[in-house]
Amino acid sequence: MTDGAVKPAATAAPALRGRGTASRLVQYILLQVLIAIVCIVLLRLPLPRPPDQLAVGGFSVADRGESRQVALPDFVPSRLSMSEPAIFTGHFAWSARENGRAWSVYLPRFTNGVVVLVNGVEILDSRRDPAANRADRATPEIGLIPASLLRDGDNEVSVQLFVWGPIPGFLDKVYAGPDESLRSYYEWRTLLFVTLPIMFSAWQGMLAVILFVMWAVRRGEAAYGVLAVAMALGAMQAFLPTAIDQPTFPELSATLLASAPLESACVLAFGILFFTRKWPRLLGPLIFLPGLTMVLIGMFGDPYAVRQSFLVLGIPALAVHLLIMGIIVAWSEMRKQDAPSLLLGCAVTIVLTTLTHDMAQVAGLIPDHRIFYTRISYSAMLVAIGVGLTWRFAQALNRVDGFAAHLAIQLREAEEKLKASFAREQERERAAALARERARLMRDLHDGLGGQLVSIVALSERNTAGAGIGDAARAALKDLRLVIDSMDDIGGDLMLALASWRDRAAAQLRPHEIALDWHAVPPGLPVYPSLRPWHVIQIIRILDEAVTNAVKHASARRIGVSIETVKATSGECGCITVTDDGEGFVPDGTGKPSSRGLRNMKNRAARCGAELELSSGSGGTTVRLQLPRRFPEGDATAS
Amino acid sequence: MTSPQELSAQEITILLVEDDPPTLWRLQDALVKAGFDVAAAATLGEARASLASRVPRVLLTDLQLPDGHGVDLIREVRQRHPDTEIMVISALGDEETVISAITVGATGYILKDAFPSDIAATVRDLVAGHSPISASIARFIVRRTQASVEPPRGPEIDTARLTPREIDILWGIAKGFSYAEIATNLGMSRQTVPGHIKSIYRKLEVHTRGEAVFEAVQQGLIKL
Repeated sequence: MTDGAVKPAATAAPALRGRGTASRLVQYILLQVLIAIVCIVLLRLPLPRPPDQLAVGGFSVADRGESRQVALPDFVPSRLSMSEPAIFTGHFAWSARENGRAWSVYLPRFTNGVVVLVNGVEILDSRRDPAANRADRATPEIGLIPASLLRDGDNEVSVQLFVWGPIPGFLDKVYAGPDESLRSYYEWRTLLFVTLPIMFSAWQGMLAVILFVMWAVRRGEAAYGVLAVAMALGAMQAFLPTAIDQPTFPELSATLLASAPLESACVLAFGILFFTRKWPRLLGPLIFLPGLTMVLIGMFGDPYAVRQSFLVLGIPALAVHLLIMGIIVAWSEMRKQDAPSLLLGCAVTIVLTTLTHDMAQVAGLIPDHRIFYTRISYSAMLVAIGVGLTWRFAQALNRVDGFAAHLAIQLREAEEKLKASFAREQERERAAALARERARLMRDLHDGLGGQLVSIVALSERNTAGAGIGDAARAALKDLRLVIDSMDDIGGDLMLALASWRDRAAAQLRPHEIALDWHAVPPGLPVYPSLRPWHVIQIIRILDEAVTNAVKHASARRIGVSIETVKATSGECGCITVTDDGEGFVPDGTGKPSSRGLRNMKNRAARCGAELELSSGSGGTTVRLQLPRRFPEGDATAS
Repeated sequence: MTSPQELSAQEITILLVEDDPPTLWRLQDALVKAGFDVAAAATLGEARASLASRVPRVLLTDLQLPDGHGVDLIREVRQRHPDTEIMVISALGDEETVISAITVGATGYILKDAFPSDIAATVRDLVAGHSPISASIARFIVRRTQASVEPPRGPEIDTARLTPREIDILWGIAKGFSYAEIATNLGMSRQTVPGHIKSIYRKLEVHTRGEAVFEAVQQGLIKL
């Protein structure tokens, strides 16, 4: 029955957890889809363009002997030779009335290099601008037309388009018009496609340095080392110039081309190390294969093969790396649900979306404007990495703080425990010393004094004349037992000492045929941690005195002892009352005790901080001893 | 074994071992006057000789004897004559003496200076199956059951076999409550308290393996 009831509950828990993971996965995927959609919408937003009337029209292109009329933008096939540019020739009108206003030719986008001539005179050669030579950066160009070149009426603009593939050459619309109208469009594009990537590359360089330092200090964390390499590669390739035509160092050029798949492989390696904390020894090195193959091709193959390899190997490798990274990060997010996983997951989705978008553009699946966003979108990844690292760092600091605080608390606790244990140890030492002393004393007394006193008692009983001696010896024995008994460690429980006294008092009273009515009201007396052996002796002697008085002077038949805890003005306190049914005595008028014995009782009570009340009448005597809440440490009132 | 209640004072044989002549005389006088059949011995040797001729119903012995220690005598008697009730005679009734005697088989103690009537009454109670236990001895035992009381002092005592109920009873006695009060507090019959105390005494006895074997051999010999 119970088994049946327990089992479904046990199986329900993992199922519930499974459902939780599933719903989290769905949420995660929905978020990524949303991000992808937003990305696509943003990517499809048209970039601002100058008004169409400034566009240069009537273009014809002369490409390797063939000539045709074209409307820009236009593509020309990729080629091997740099000496065979496609020459686009167009016309624009300029009026002499415009004299005094600077005119420019603005080329928003072209691949890969342009030389612009106005009326047969060269005004611009993009190949001298290293940033403009990179196909992945949509670098715009603007050329100011020297006023002397412009002719009233029709002007000819000629654009020589150099293509060094792997993708076909491209020339977007060419604009000619007043510099003031065109410059702002140029600046906007420069900011977006030149300045911003450089900024991010600088940021990447910083990350590389930070990560290298991190790795250098924490050698165990290989993930940071790998990421540092990735960041260094990325930063390097952004700042090294792209070689055109026949590079001086083909190996360098190939490495640069291979840098993207190598970098993505390093980032993936980081992802694997950072999120799974395991390195797959067999499959792991495979991710570096495309990049390394490209390096080999670059070193031994021709430039065209190098460029083709980028399309065939580099881009797919990038995509595969991103996909694997996305899966790892999603898995990590499902498991840990922490900020770095989520951020990096979103960043991977952004890069993957833009990569797909760019490739679709190249493949002609979507209208091609030759604007590649992959490199820029990669900055999202850099931001995610930066934020993730900072988050981790802050978390680690928090943990350290928490740990330090925890440690401080533990230290304090340990210190207190140590102090308490030291005090306990001291107390124990004291008790042990007392016990040892008591045992020694007891042995001595037992073997010596005790036995001799017993002999005296025995001898005195042989003849009636010795009765007084016998009594004295018996009293001495009783006192001896009291002294020894009071030295015992009773842990502040006066009841224990009183119980021993009860045995002795009962034995003392029995020959006198006086009954001892013992009445301890549960729970008896409170425990007094301040109770010391000398307090016990004083209290027992007071009780002894009371009992002795009742026997000797009052001719009592019954003696009652009552022990209870009473509510006094200062709170609860212990109270011992000794009553007898004897003749009583009359305290003199001044209220002073009438005999030396009574005065002694008062003195003893005062030394213990207790209050003694005596009342006596024809019905008997009552001695009431009210104990203090705390026994005094020293014997201050001792004379 | 006949029921103790049926024994008259004359039928109760006592062996009294005490080396101090006045004390011996005093105790013997008290017991003889009460009608008991008392044999006296002043040394361990005399006591053993007396035991050889007659096994007493009750053994009362001092611990410090000229030719040895009373503890040895108690142990011997306890092993060979389990029916003999044993009490130790103590000058001060201190636990040093009493506990070491209890652990070898004694059941309580008599104070050397006790009044004659008390001495006779104690022996009668003992034979009747009432094992007296003083508050100070009860206190010593229960303090030992508390793990916090360290380091152990005085004679060795093993309280591990005591049941919680027996410890409760000892606490009651140590705090001076009467048997009736203890019985009421613990929800038991007053008549069962002496039985518990007897059981406590037996549990405090030290049984070594050697003693157990010795006992078995003794009983085996008797059976043969």
